[in-house]
Amino acid sequence: MKKMIVGENILKSFGEGDDKRNVLDGVSVEINEGEFVSVMGPSGSGKSTLMFALSGMDGIDSGKVTFDGRDLSTLKDNELADIRRAEMGFVFQQPTLLKNLNILDNIILPSMRDHREDVSKITEKARLLMEKAGILELEKRGITQASGGQLQRVGICRALMNQPKIIFCDEPTGALNSKSANEIMGLLADIHRAGTTILLVTHDVKVAAKTERVLCMFDGQIAGEYLAGAYDETRNDLKSREESLTTWLAGMKL
Amino acid sequence: MYYRIIRNDILRNKAITLTTMVFVAAAAMLVSLAAILIINLSGAIDTLMTRAKTPHFMQMHSGKMDTGQLAAFAAQNGDVAEFQVLEFINVDGARIVFEKSSLADSVQDNGFSVQSEKFDYLLDLDGNMIRVSDGEIYVPICYMQDGSTKVGDTVEVFGREFIVGGFLRDSLMNSLLASSKRFLVSRNDFMGIGELGNVEYLIEFRLKDISALGAFETAYTSAGLDANGPTLTYPLFKTMNAISDGLMIAVILLVSVLVVMIAFMCIRFTLLAKIEEDYREIGVMKAIGLRVSDIKKIYLAKYAAIAAVGSLLGYTLSFVFRDMLLENIRLYMGESENASFALLFGIIGVLLVFLAIMAYVNGVLKRFQKISPAEAVRFGISQEKSAGTRLFRLSRNRLLGTNVFLGIRDVLARKGLYATMLAVLVISAFIIIVPQNLYNTISSKGFIAYMGIGQSDLRVDIQQTDNVSEKAAEIAAAMEADSTISKYVVLVTKTFRVKMEDGSEEQIKVELGDHSIFPIKYAEGGAPATGDEIALSVLNARELDKKVGDGITLTIDGQEKNLTVCGIYSDVTNGGKTAKAVFADPSADIMWSVISAELSAKSLIREKTAEYAERFGFAKVSDIDEYVVQTFGSTINSVRKASQAAVGVALSITILVTLLFMRMLVVKDRYSIAVMKAFGFTNSDITAQFVSRSVFVLLIGIVLGTLLANTLGEALAGVVIASFGASSFEFVVDPLAAYLVCPLLMVVSTLVVTIFGTLDAGRIKISENIKE
Repeated sequence: MKKMIVGENILKSFGEGDDKRNVLDGVSVEINEGEFVSVMGPSGSGKSTLMFALSGMDGIDSGKVTFDGRDLSTLKDNELADIRRAEMGFVFQQPTLLKNLNILDNIILPSMRDHREDVSKITEKARLLMEKAGILELEKRGITQASGGQLQRVGICRALMNQPKIIFCDEPTGALNSKSANEIMGLLADIHRAGTTILLVTHDVKVAAKTERVLCMFDGQIAGEYLAGAYDETRNDLKSREESLTTWLAGMKL
Repeated sequence: MYYRIIRNDILRNKAITLTTMVFVAAAAMLVSLAAILIINLSGAIDTLMTRAKTPHFMQMHSGKMDTGQLAAFAAQNGDVAEFQVLEFINVDGARIVFEKSSLADSVQDNGFSVQSEKFDYLLDLDGNMIRVSDGEIYVPICYMQDGSTKVGDTVEVFGREFIVGGFLRDSLMNSLLASSKRFLVSRNDFMGIGELGNVEYLIEFRLKDISALGAFETAYTSAGLDANGPTLTYPLFKTMNAISDGLMIAVILLVSVLVVMIAFMCIRFTLLAKIEEDYREIGVMKAIGLRVSDIKKIYLAKYAAIAAVGSLLGYTLSFVFRDMLLENIRLYMGESENASFALLFGIIGVLLVFLAIMAYVNGVLKRFQKISPAEAVRFGISQEKSAGTRLFRLSRNRLLGTNVFLGIRDVLARKGLYATMLAVLVISAFIIIVPQNLYNTISSKGFIAYMGIGQSDLRVDIQQTDNVSEKAAEIAAAMEADSTISKYVVLVTKTFRVKMEDGSEEQIKVELGDHSIFPIKYAEGGAPATGDEIALSVLNARELDKKVGDGITLTIDGQEKNLTVCGIYSDVTNGGKTAKAVFADPSADIMWSVISAELSAKSLIREKTAEYAERFGFAKVSDIDEYVVQTFGSTINSVRKASQAAVGVALSITILVTLLFMRMLVVKDRYSIAVMKAFGFTNSDITAQFVSRSVFVLLIGIVLGTLLANTLGEALAGVVIASFGASSFEFVVDPLAAYLVCPLLMVVSTLVVTIFGTLDAGRIKISENIKE
C-alpha cells in the first residue's frame, strides 16, 4: 500500500524555559493511501497537535513529515497552502465557517481561490455534495440559520470540494448529539469508501470503532496501535468492535 | 480585576491604544490652548481698553465742524462723563517713507494724531501713556510686526524726517481689520503735517454708565450733530480687537473638533471591533446575571484610563505651545490681568474633552442592551443583517477575483465598522483637494487679469518722486524709440473727491489712460472707452454702493464731473480700492504713474528690465511676473505652503488611521484568517483581501471627498479668494493634481500601509486560532 503521510521522530514543544513541554515527543507514524485512521488519547496527549503537524498546518521543531513523497518542512508557506487547498480537506470540531458568507459561498470558497473552473460548474459541484449530505435546502442561509449538525455537514462538503487525497478531521462529532454524530460518521464512511484517506482525531470510542486503525497517544507519544479492520455496517458488529477497542484501551493503562 | 483586564487589553492592542491616546492628547491640548487663549485674549483686551480709556462712542467726521454745538450737547446730556474731539490727519501711504520702503502699497488709511489729554490714550508696549517729543514718531505696532521699521529708524513724511521713538498700541485701531492706523507725533510736528494732509475728526464720548450707550446713540443722532463718517461704539472696538486672534482661536477650536472627531472614530472602531470579538463573553455575562451597567464598567474603565492619560498629556503639551500662540496677543494687547484664570479654564477644557469621550464611549456601549444572551451564547456573533450583501454572493460572482470580491464583500457586510474609516478618508480627501484647488486658482497665469493687472511683459512704476508726468514722458519717449517694444501705455493715478449720496465727500484714486492696451477682466461691464465713463474696483463699488450704469460725481478743480460706471473689476493692487477712467485731466497733482509695455520677444524681458532700471534710476522697473510675485506672491506662497501642509497632514491621518484599522482588523479577524489559511489561502491572498477592503473604502472616500470639496470646499475657497479682493473668478482645477496625483498619493500610501499593517496576518498560526 502506498504511504501517503510519513512522520518520523516528530518533536514539537510549546512554552519556554521551565514551562517548555514536548507536546509531540519523537512521534513516528505512517498513514497509507485509502486508510481510515483515528487518533485517540486523553486531553492534552497531543492528538490535535499531531494532526496539525501531519497536515503541514503547523511547523515542527525537529523530525520530518512527508506528504505524498514531499518533505513538508522544506516547503514554503504558499506551497503548503497550495497543498492544503488542492490535496487536503479539513473538518474541525466547530464548523469554522466565515460568518459573512452564506452556506453555499462557504462551501465553494476554497475552490474559488483558483478559479480553474467556471463558477457555475463549481456551484453545481457544491450543490451535488450538499444534496448527498442532505443540506441542499440550506444553500442560501446564513451560518446562524442552521443547526450544529447541519453546519458540520457544510464543513464536510467544503472539505470535499477540491476532491482531496486526504481529509483531516479533528473531533468532527465532538460538539454534536449522538444522532447527528452517527450521521456525520456515516457521511465520512461514504467518503472513505469512495477512496479518500481519512485521519480522524477523537476521544469517542463509538467514533473510533468505525475506523480501520486506531492510534493511541499518551504524553506526546504514540502509546499503541489497534488494528480494527474495515468496518462494514451490514455486519452489525459495531457493538463488539466498540467493546474490543475499549478493552484494548483499558489495557493501555493510560 | 478591572486593572488586570485593562492592562491585558492595552498590551494586546498597543498600537491602537497609543494612537487613540495621541488623538485624545491632541484634542485635549487644542481645547486647553483655545481656553487659555480665550481667557488671555479677553483679559488682555479688557486691560488694554481700560488703560487706554477707550471711548464708548465715537463719531468720525470729515468736513466743517461745529465744536460749540457738540460741547453744548455734551454738557446737557446727563450720560456723558467726558467728551473730546481729536484731529486725525489722513496722509497718503506714498508720503510715508520708511528706510526700506514707503507705505504706498499699504492697504491701511494711515494718518497722524497727537496724544489725547482726557481719554483714548495711545499706549507704549509697556501699557503706559506715551509722551512724545518733537522730531519723534510712534508707529502703529503692525509696522513693527511686518518689519517695516524699528526703533531708532527714520521715517520721512512729506519730506520731514522723524526718528522712530517706539511703537504704539491703539485701542481703537490696533486691529488689522480697522482700516485706519494712527501714527503719534508731538503737537508741534502735528501742526506742520496738518497743512499737508486731510483732516478728519474723531468726536469721542465716555459715558458714566456704558449701559446707556443705546440711548446715547439715539440722542446723538436725533440732535442732528456732525456725523459725516462712520459711528463706532465700545462693543465694536472690543470685537475688532478680538477678531484676528479670535479667528485663530476659532481655527484652533475647529481643528480640535476635527481631532476630537477622529479620536471618537478611533474609539468607535475599537469598541465595535471589541464588542464583536467579545460578543459571546458579553452574552455569557448577561446570561449569568451581570447587569449591563456592570459589563459596561469594564469597557468604560479602559477608556477612562486612555482618556485620562491622553488628557493629562494634552494639558502638559499645551504649555509648550501656549507662549508661541500668545505672542501676538501679548504684542498687540499686552499682558492679561487674569492670566492665572487661564490655567484653570485650560483644565476645565481638558475635563470637557475627557467627559465628552466618556459620554461617547457610554453611548457606543448602549448596544450591549440589544445583545440577546441566548443568541450570543449560541452563535457567538451578532445576528444583525446587512442589507445589500444578500445579492452580493460569491456563487454569483463572475467579474471580480475571489480575493477582491471577499474584500469588497467584507466592507459591505460590516458597513458600520468601515464607516469610521470612510469618514476619516473623506475628511482627508477634502483637506487635500480644497487647498490644492485654491492654490491652482490663485497661481494660474490668467488669474492676475482677474486681480486688476493687465498681461504685459514690463512694468515701470514712478512714485514717491517729483515731476512724475515729465519723468513718465521721458520713459514713454524712450519706449517709442525702442524697436523691441511692440506696444506700451502710460497710466497716471490721481486722487479726486467723489461726492456721496448724503452729500459727504470721499477720496478716490483714479488711474487715467488707455485701458484697452493691456485689458483686465471685468466682473461686470467693461473698460472705460469714453471720457464720461469710469470703471470701479469691487471694493470701491461696494463702498460707494454703485452698480454698472449708475452715475458718479467727481470734483475736479472745484468743478463737478458726472461719470457713468461702465465696469466693475476685481483688484488686489493699492488696497483694492481703485478706479479706471480715460478722461483728460490737466492738473499736475499726479500720485504715481505706471507704464506697461509688451516686448516683441519674451526672451528680452530680463535684459530690457535691467536696461530700463539702469537708465531710469528714479523708476521701479519690474517684469510682470516679478510684480505679481511682489504684489501677492506672499499670499500665493502662503496658500502653497498651506496646501502642501494640508497634503502632509491629510496623508499622515490617512496613513495613521489606515495602519491602525488594518492592524485592528487583523487582530479581530484572526479566526477568519486562520480558517482561510487552513483551506489553502496564501498570505498574499489574505493581503490582497485586506488591500481590496482598504482601497474600496478609499475609493469611495476619494469620490465623496472630491464631491464635497467641489461643493462645500468651493464655497469655502470662494470666501478666501473674495477676501483678496477678487469677487468673480473661474475656479481653476488642475485635473492632473486634483483627480490623479493626489488620489494616487492616497491610494499608494494606503496600499503600502495596508500591506505593512497586515504583515501580522502572515504570522497568524492556524492551529492557535482554530481552537476546539
